[in-house]
Amino acid sequence: MDKDVVIKIDNVSKKFTRSIKRSMFYGSTDIFKSMFGIKPDTTKLRKGEFWSLNDVSFELKQGEGLAIIGHNGSGKSTLLRLINGIFPPDEGSIRVKGKIGALIAVGAGFHPHMTGRENIYLSGTILGMSRNEIKNIFDEIIDFADIGDFIDAPVSTYSSGMSIRLGFSIAIHSRPDILLADEVLAVGDLAFALKCHKKISDFRKNGGTLILVSHSMNQVRNACEHALWLDKGMIKESGPVNEVCDKFENFMFKKDSDDKSSSSVGTHITNDSNTIITRVEFFNDKDEQTTAFDSGSFFKARIFYKCNRSVKSPIFTFGIANVENVSVVASYSNYTLDLSDTEISGEGYIEVIIPNLYLRAGNYRCTTTLAEGDVETVLDWHEKNFLFTINANKKLTHGIAQIPVEWKI
Amino acid sequence: MNKEVTVYEPNQRLKIGFFETWVIMFKNIVKSKELIIQLFKRDFFMSYKKSYLGLAWILISPLVGIVSWVFLNSAGILQPGDTPIPFPAYVLLGSSIWGLFMGFYGSAGGTLGAGAGFINQVKYPHEALLIKQTAQHIANFLITFVVNIIVLLLFGVTPSLGILLFPLTAIPLFFLGAGLGLIVSVLSVVASDLTNVINIIMGFVFYAIPIVYQIDKIENPLLQTVVQINPLTYLVTGARDIIVEGTIHYPERYLLVAAISFVFFMLSWRLFYVSEDKVIERMI
Repeated sequence: MDKDVVIKIDNVSKKFTRSIKRSMFYGSTDIFKSMFGIKPDTTKLRKGEFWSLNDVSFELKQGEGLAIIGHNGSGKSTLLRLINGIFPPDEGSIRVKGKIGALIAVGAGFHPHMTGRENIYLSGTILGMSRNEIKNIFDEIIDFADIGDFIDAPVSTYSSGMSIRLGFSIAIHSRPDILLADEVLAVGDLAFALKCHKKISDFRKNGGTLILVSHSMNQVRNACEHALWLDKGMIKESGPVNEVCDKFENFMFKKDSDDKSSSSVGTHITNDSNTIITRVEFFNDKDEQTTAFDSGSFFKARIFYKCNRSVKSPIFTFGIANVENVSVVASYSNYTLDLSDTEISGEGYIEVIIPNLYLRAGNYRCTTTLAEGDVETVLDWHEKNFLFTINANKKLTHGIAQIPVEWKI
Repeated sequence: MNKEVTVYEPNQRLKIGFFETWVIMFKNIVKSKELIIQLFKRDFFMSYKKSYLGLAWILISPLVGIVSWVFLNSAGILQPGDTPIPFPAYVLLGSSIWGLFMGFYGSAGGTLGAGAGFINQVKYPHEALLIKQTAQHIANFLITFVVNIIVLLLFGVTPSLGILLFPLTAIPLFFLGAGLGLIVSVLSVVASDLTNVINIIMGFVFYAIPIVYQIDKIENPLLQTVVQINPLTYLVTGARDIIVEGTIHYPERYLLVAAISFVFFMLSWRLFYVSEDKVIERMI
C-alpha cells in the first residue's frame, strides 16, 4: 500500500439475498461449513442472491474527499459498511489505514433514560474513545451540540433534532482519520448544518479523509473533489467530482425522458377534460423552437391550451425545477397580466418570457397549470412535464443559478 | 504516518488458527474494558430507572421466591429426606445453582442480541458483549444468592465452610453455559427456532439433574442412567454439595466434566468468532 493511500479497495464484491427465509438458510449453511473449517465459496451467486456490490476498486489518499453517488439501492451504504468493517466482503479485499469514524450511526447506543451527559460517555466509548479522551473533549462536544440545559435531562425527552445534534457532535469529535458520512449532513436546522460543514471542512484541512454518501449533488460538489458513481453495485463513472456529477445528472435526465415519451416526463392531472394544456414549446432569441439554451440567454415558453368551453378569468402558472427537484422559478400569469375580465376558449397559447435565463448548466423540467378564477381552482396540471437543457459552459459557480457576478476591490 | 492497516477479506477469520483466535478475543476483551463498564452501567442500572422501588427489586424477587419455599416446607409437600440440611433448603440451593447455569447460558445466548441497536452500525469487538452480559448476570445472581444464604441462616441452616470454594465451582458452570449460549447466539440470528428448541430441552434437563430429588433415591434404571450421563448432574450437585457439605461426591467425574466444559467453551468461542462474521449482515 502506497505511503499516502489510506483506503484501498480491490475488486470488492458483496452479495445479498432479498428473501429473508433464504438469507437465513444460507446463513445457517455458511455457519455449518465454518464449523467444520470449510470455507464457504463466496464467489458464486446462489439462488435468490444478487450482487449488491460487484467488482468495485478504488483508492483514496490521505486528505482526499470522495463522494459516492447513485440511485437508491446502488450499493452505496453497503460499501460504507464494508469499509467500516461491519461485515466482510465476499470477494476482493479492503485495506484501511487509521481510525475510521462513522457518521452513519449518529447516536449509536444512546439509552433513552440516561442523561445527555451520561450518554456522551456511553456513545463515545462505543465509538472507540477512552474515558480520558472523552473527558478531554467533553466540553467541546457539549458546546458543539448546543442543546443547553437539556444536557442533564434524559435523552428520551429530547426532540429528534436535539438527539441528532448530540449524536453528531460525539461522532465528529471522536477524532477519526477517515470519516464516513451517510446522508447525515442533511440533518438539523440550517445553523447546525453550517456548523457541521465547517467542522467537516476543518477536519479535511487537518488531513482528514472523507467519504460522503449523498443524494444532493450540490453538497457533493461542495464537499468533495472526487466522485464515484455506483449503478447496480458497479462503478459506472469515477473521477473529478464535477465531471461525474454532470454525467450522473444527465443520465438521470435522460432516464426520465426515456421512461416516458420524449416531451412528457412528469405527471398530467386533468380536473376538467374540456380545458387542457396540450403542450409547451420553447423558443430562443431568434424565435427558433429549441430545448437547449445557453445560460443567460433569452427564453420563451409557449403554453398551448385547448378549451371546449369558455374559461373566465384564467390564470396560468409556470415553474422550472432542476434535477434535484428544487424549484428555481415559479410565476403566475396574474402577477403581471390581469386576465380577470378575460375569457378564453378554443385553441390558443400564452407566452412566458424570461429575458435572461441565468441558470447553471443542467437539465430542467417545467410545471404548468391552468386555473380558473383563483389559482387553487386548477383545471389542468402538468407537473414537471416539459424538459429543456442549459448547455454546459466553463463558468464556475456554485448554487442553483448562474447569475452574473462581478468582484471589485 | 504510521497508522495501523486493517484488512477485510472474505472468510478472513477462518484463516486464523485456533490458538490465535483465543489470543485475539482475549486481547479484545481487555481492550474493551471501558466499553464493558459503560454497557454494564447502561443495562444494569437503567433497567430499574422507571420503577419506584428501583434496585430494591433485585432483593424483592428472591425474597418472594423464598417465601414460596418456606410455604412448601411447612405444608410438607416436599418430603424431607435424609439430607444434611432440611430438604427445601437443599432444593433451594440446587435450583439457585441451576439458575446460575441457565443465566450463563442465557446471557451468552443474548450476546449478539444485546448489541442489536448498533451492531450493524459501529465496529467494535462483540466479545465485549459476552462479558457485559455475564457480568450483569453475576451481579444479579450474587444479590439473590446472598439473600438466599441469609434466609437459610435465619432458619437455622448453616452452610459448610466449603461455601468459600463455591466461586470456583461456578467456573465450569460458566464454561458449559456460555459455550452453549455463544453457539445459540450466532445460530439464533439465522434460525430463531433453535432458541425455542433448546429452551424446551432445558426444561427437561432440569429434571435430569438431582435438584428436586436425590441421586440415590432414583428407582427407574433408565432415569438413573440419564442422570448419570448428564454432565450437569456433576456440575450442579458438585457446586451444591460444596456449599452444604464442603465436599464433592464424585470428584473424578466432576473434574472430567469441568475439563470437557472448558474445552467445549474454547471451541464454541472460536466458532462464535468465525461465524458471527456471517450473520451480522443478516441481523435485520
